[in-house]
Amino acid sequence: MTRTKTIALSALGLAGFLIIWELVPGLGLVPATILPPPSALPGAFWGEVKNGVWLSSLTRSLSHYLAGLIIGCVLGVSLGIVTGLWVPLEATLAWVVRILRPIPGLAWVPFAILWFGIAPSAAIFIISTGVFWISYFAALGAVRSVDRDLIELADAFGFRRADQKLFKVILPAATPGILVGVRTALGQAWMAVVAAEIFGVPGLGQRMMQASNLLASDIVVVYMATMAAAYGAIDSIFVAVQSRLLRWKQ
Amino acid sequence: MIDLKNIGLTFARNGEQSEVLRGLDLFIPAGRFVAVLGPSGVGKSTLLRVIAGLLKPNTGSVALSTSPENAHLPVAMVFQDARLLPWRKVWANVAFGLEHSKLTTAERRAKAETALALVGLTGFSERFPHELSGGQRQRVALARALAVEPDILLMDEPFAALDAITREGLQDELARIHAATGKTIVFVTHSIDEAVHLADEVVVLAGKPARLAAAHVIDTPRPRRRNGDETAELVAQMRAQLGQTG
Ligand SMILES: Nc1ncnc2c1ncn2[C@@H]1O[C@H](COP(=O)(O)OP(=O)(O)O)[C@@H](O)[C@H]1O
Ligand SMILES: [Mg+2]
Repeated sequence: MTRTKTIALSALGLAGFLIIWELVPGLGLVPATILPPPSALPGAFWGEVKNGVWLSSLTRSLSHYLAGLIIGCVLGVSLGIVTGLWVPLEATLAWVVRILRPIPGLAWVPFAILWFGIAPSAAIFIISTGVFWISYFAALGAVRSVDRDLIELADAFGFRRADQKLFKVILPAATPGILVGVRTALGQAWMAVVAAEIFGVPGLGQRMMQASNLLASDIVVVYMATMAAAYGAIDSIFVAVQSRLLRWKQ
Repeated sequence: MIDLKNIGLTFARNGEQSEVLRGLDLFIPAGRFVAVLGPSGVGKSTLLRVIAGLLKPNTGSVALSTSPENAHLPVAMVFQDARLLPWRKVWANVAFGLEHSKLTTAERRAKAETALALVGLTGFSERFPHELSGGQRQRVALARALAVEPDILLMDEPFAALDAITREGLQDELARIHAATGKTIVFVTHSIDEAVHLADEVVVLAGKPARLAAAHVIDTPRPRRRNGDETAELVAQMRAQLGQTG
């Protein structure tokens, strides 16, 4: 199939989807409060932008997101690297990790509320917990699989200290694997943001739940679309940075 | 100068002992090009690692005499696989061993460029290793070793993975570099022809644990012709020693 044809078909598919979506409430098959038609969305969006709620919800969510992501990644990657380098530590942590790791991120919500209250710090805690495990295992695996020959190379050229090997060889060699983990974490963390906010921490999720309680389903859809767009943008930026960092790869 | 006395080395793995070297003595005066021949698995790479200080022998002593300005890194190693750091551009790979010194980046880069010129890779500085051919990668590895200006160059089957034409080109360059710099070179190979073509002296490792089975001085004048009549008899003799035919 040619490129133009593929694009044409994709556009056709999207148009069909929107038309059906428009018609279902339009023809009165279901009430518009249950399924708001797409034509109602621009107005709802504009209303949220005008009263300033949209921007403040978005920036709040992004700030929880970034804080949780950074805390989780920094802790997870550092501990993953240290554990990867130092076998006794891995053995020491093995059972603790086995107990803690299977706990789903959202199962921490009760404790997050108990420890931090319904506050941004609770959201940040939940987000960083999920991010921590993903980046921990990514970093541990990446460090473990660094080519021993490259470490010997560092030795052969006089870099005998552990910190020299870490910065000259191990970290750069482990970077691709760590970045794969961080990318997975980006998605997990965004889900956690929404979940934490649904429990009441101010942000996109909370605003969406408010709208839902008021049966303003068009506003609910506006926030669903905002979440999707924000995540799409974050992921694209990350992929651009990643390919810039890894331009040395084939 | 390299002086190995009574070198013994045993690997222990999963409780199994494997004695690779025993009672090995080898003296290599400064400036000599020594080729080490031997069947695969006999312990040639192990011997180079012992000389480089990457492995500590269980018995015996390793003495290297080097000029004082090279005290930190008197030996440089070229591995069989080029072993370049894929995230570094060619020049930064070549400058790897210079990062101990207090040189500025510009000075390191200049030294790297000089070493690259020596191996015929001027103009390749900005490439990444994956943008090079196998022969070019091996040249970069050689330049990286030369850049630290070592007194002793250790080379572990550096050309074994290359096609014949590239290999002969690199052999010629190595001969030229040796003539120009007078470095002590220990060159591991499993090719008798390569050993005889390049070296002042060929030592043969054999047995388990390995010992020095023979040492031959090659005094044919340089530049040498390949497969010249002068060396035919010596090559035949070594083939017999190594149990190779043809
Ligand atoms: N790190 C190691 N641990 C255990 N055995 C090793 C190790 N390195 C090499 N050996 C063994 O030592 C012997 C000599 O290896 P090597 O020096 O690489 O041989 P060569 O370079 O002559 O082919 C081989 O039998 C090999 O299996
Ligand atoms: Mg070997």
